[in-house]
Amino acid sequence: MSSAPTNLLQGTLDLLILKSLVTGERHGLGISRRVLQITGQTFHVKPGSLFPALHRMEEEGWISSFWGDSENNRRAKYYCLTKAGRKQLEVETKRWDRISWAIAQALEAS
Amino acid sequence: MPLLVKVRSFLRNLISTQRQEEDLDQEVRSHLDLLAEENVRAGMSPEEAQRAARMELGGVEVVKEQVRNHRKGEWLRSVFADCRYGVRQLRKNPGTTAIMVFTLALAIGATAAIFSVVYGVLLRPLPYNEPNRIMALYEVTTKGNLSRVADPNFDDFRDQNRSFQAMAKYSDGIVSVSGALQPVRTRVGVVSADFLKVFRVQPMIGRDFTASDTKKGAAPVVLVSNGYWKEYLSASQDLSESHLKIDNAVYTVVGVLPQGFQFPSDVALWVPADIDGENTSRTSHNYYGVGRLRDGVTVEQANGDISAIARRIHNAASDQSDYLLEDGAVVPLQDSITGKTRSPLLVLLGAVGFLLLVACANVANLLLAQASVRERELAIRSALGAARARLVRQFLTEALLLSLLGGGLGVLGAFLGVAGLIELAPENLPRLESISVSVPVLLFALLLSTAVAVGLGAFTAVRATSGDLRNALGEGGRGQAGSHSGTRVGRVIVAAQIAITLVLVIGAGLLGRSLMKVLEVNPGFRVDKIVAMEVSLPWVDDPKAKANQATFFSNLIGRLQQIPGVHKVGAASTLPLEDGGLPDGMFLLMTQQEIPKKPEDFGALFRQKERIGAADFCVATQGYFEVLGIPLLRGRMFDEHDGADSPHVAVISESLASERWPGQDPIGHTIEFGNMDGDLRLLTIVGIVGNVHQYGLDAPSRPTVYVNLFQRPRAAITVTMLSDADTKQVTSAARGILQGLDPEIPAKFQTLSQVYSASLGSRRFNLILIGFFAIAALLLATAGVFGVMAYSVSRRTREIGVRVALGAGSRDVLSMILGQGMRTILIGVAAGLAGALALTRTVASLLFGVTATDPLTFAAVILLLIAAALLACYIPARRATRVDPLVALRYE
Repeated sequence: MSSAPTNLLQGTLDLLILKSLVTGERHGLGISRRVLQITGQTFHVKPGSLFPALHRMEEEGWISSFWGDSENNRRAKYYCLTKAGRKQLEVETKRWDRISWAIAQALEAS
Repeated sequence: MPLLVKVRSFLRNLISTQRQEEDLDQEVRSHLDLLAEENVRAGMSPEEAQRAARMELGGVEVVKEQVRNHRKGEWLRSVFADCRYGVRQLRKNPGTTAIMVFTLALAIGATAAIFSVVYGVLLRPLPYNEPNRIMALYEVTTKGNLSRVADPNFDDFRDQNRSFQAMAKYSDGIVSVSGALQPVRTRVGVVSADFLKVFRVQPMIGRDFTASDTKKGAAPVVLVSNGYWKEYLSASQDLSESHLKIDNAVYTVVGVLPQGFQFPSDVALWVPADIDGENTSRTSHNYYGVGRLRDGVTVEQANGDISAIARRIHNAASDQSDYLLEDGAVVPLQDSITGKTRSPLLVLLGAVGFLLLVACANVANLLLAQASVRERELAIRSALGAARARLVRQFLTEALLLSLLGGGLGVLGAFLGVAGLIELAPENLPRLESISVSVPVLLFALLLSTAVAVGLGAFTAVRATSGDLRNALGEGGRGQAGSHSGTRVGRVIVAAQIAITLVLVIGAGLLGRSLMKVLEVNPGFRVDKIVAMEVSLPWVDDPKAKANQATFFSNLIGRLQQIPGVHKVGAASTLPLEDGGLPDGMFLLMTQQEIPKKPEDFGALFRQKERIGAADFCVATQGYFEVLGIPLLRGRMFDEHDGADSPHVAVISESLASERWPGQDPIGHTIEFGNMDGDLRLLTIVGIVGNVHQYGLDAPSRPTVYVNLFQRPRAAITVTMLSDADTKQVTSAARGILQGLDPEIPAKFQTLSQVYSASLGSRRFNLILIGFFAIAALLLATAGVFGVMAYSVSRRTREIGVRVALGAGSRDVLSMILGQGMRTILIGVAAGLAGALALTRTVASLLFGVTATDPLTFAAVILLLIAAALLACYIPARRATRVDPLVALRYE
């Protein structure tokens, strides 16, 4: 699945990125792969969506970044959750729960 | 905390862009490397891995641009980028940019300057509390004109109305005032009790008039203006010792008005009306009325209220003369002050607006020419993914830069322009003091510049980005198709320019012809070599005191006659062409036996149509006619036998003779004109003199009755001296003589030619301004024609080269180019002609002696414009004939 549907649901991408960072800092590719993994290979976040989102979220103060070395000693930019980011994750999760419950209700109705 | 982070990111995005960019670049590239590494681990060859990584990333620059677009403050950064780019564009063509900025500066500056005048005079609220609630009150005459108010009528308006919270009457005049210092001719307002309440003004020191101050026989008191207080009363806080001698009576100063209160204009002192008792006549219109509306009452309601009272007065009056009011009217005070200047000022604003349009058209053409050179650049930007909206914004930004630059310079120019306008403005332009480049004017200039920018920017942007930009790339930047429509648009603009210019120049031409016609008018008197001295003695009522004043004037005239170089001296109530003019009224034809015993019986006589006549009333001496060269046509002039005790005589103007006594000889008839000066003795008509344009060269001369100063003395006169000597010498000698006779009496000097020149002030003002706009528009339009033709020729160089190579002679080329230009010019002229026919009607009220569609003016202006435009075509056409086919064909 391409990244296009994620644009449709504003906030879903944010939620996934925040979620992927809960277990610790990651670089861009790491985040992309982690999202793929935790969504059961459903969401493949391409760089064209990933980087704008990362920069936007950093400006919002939800994540912070630093330069570090990758496992193969390549320099890469790492992102980690901030306190505000954890709070935002809670907000986004609640919101998502509500949406998914509502959609489920809608689909169950005859 | 997140807020802080946001602000920090915003600032970082704006300020440390360089580091941000490097960081972003590294991040995206490292991502690419990580991807490739991953692919290698999955078993791809290094080349394949690189390729797949690139595929997945989708282009380093594209990703970077996407990140940039989501940054905070991105819009502002892109505006900066647009501005930077715009500045670079403008600096690339410094010559064109300078021309465009200067053109806009001229037009915006001129518009802002004229707007300063329009705002200051017409729009700026009067400097009083809730000024829009202050109304002027008028009587309406049987002819439907507004007139001043008679005392008893005013009292009825004041006492019976339900619309006003305060109402007052006022008038003003110049009298001699002396206090501690030298006597000075001062403008004094005569006002009723509630005058200051109408304006909601309180004296800053002392007190307002009380009801008892305005009663008949009250002790005379005076209020002084802030300026007068500072200049003549040395700004003393203690008024108890301040007294002023006004018209020989001593007035106690009771209050000082705050700075800025100046109504009626130029008044320095205010004294209570009616301390000598009210005039009981309902037809003596001595006062202006002013009132403040009650809260919630509209102007229309007040009008109805006053009108009803006026009609009641009219119906109840026993004496139904033409001078009795027919109706009443209420007009907002501001409108009543600016009424006559409104339409000329709006015409000026319209004219300068036309100039602005012509200027914008030139700039639009230059921008279009630049845009067509940039077609290739636009095509590349669009191919790289710039949206059309982004390109349009770029054009808007550039236009905004241009017009703000032009507007800024223009506003600087407007400061100078306004100073010049005030200098140039006719004396009778009201509210001159409130004209300045004020905040509203600056806002107007800013708005105007922005509007110009949006107009120009949107126009060029739409023109330049329309059509398929890829064609431009495909054509290798020559863009023949686009440029062809480009020059067509250019020609449409030029035709519009010519049309607008034609309207302006015709307007200027009509005003110019009018001024020439006015100058051709024979005023009826000599203008040059005449020095005038205004002298006013204290106003007196007693016949003996009046006779003494006559003797004083006789003495004065006798001594003035001794000044070397002075040939002749005369005197009259006022000079012709001076503001104010003469009093007018109705006289009765009657003989000595018919004079009624009781004054009340005069009313009945005024109802007998065959008895009455209407005329201006002028007090003069025999010398006045000689000094001014007003010819005696029949009969005799006043002479030394006409003493105070001999039968009173009058000479009348030719117009009165032919109007009142058509086909008869008026000489020998006797008339009663006592309502002018209170003297009921009959006047025998002894002579007829030439007509004088008393109220302006462009106003018809009015029927006038002249009486002899030595039989009908008056306190204020203007002495006229015909002299060959230097004006300054005559002036100082005359001043010395007057001081020798009575040091208490001030005088005002001017020459009759100054009065003559001042009377043409508004006409000259309008002509100079519209003439200036017309000339500027003509130059701009000529430059516009030249620009478009030169551009078209340069675009067609190759085509012309082919034509020449195929055997076209230079005459063919010349006529081809001129023909093309001529078509544009003629279309413009036709459109302009239609516009002029429709629009010159608006200036009809400013014209004299020519109609708004004067064929001579129209023909001359059309020829002038065609000649100028053809000349502008000729130079590029000549250049076209010199095209060398070899060079032209290799050119591209």
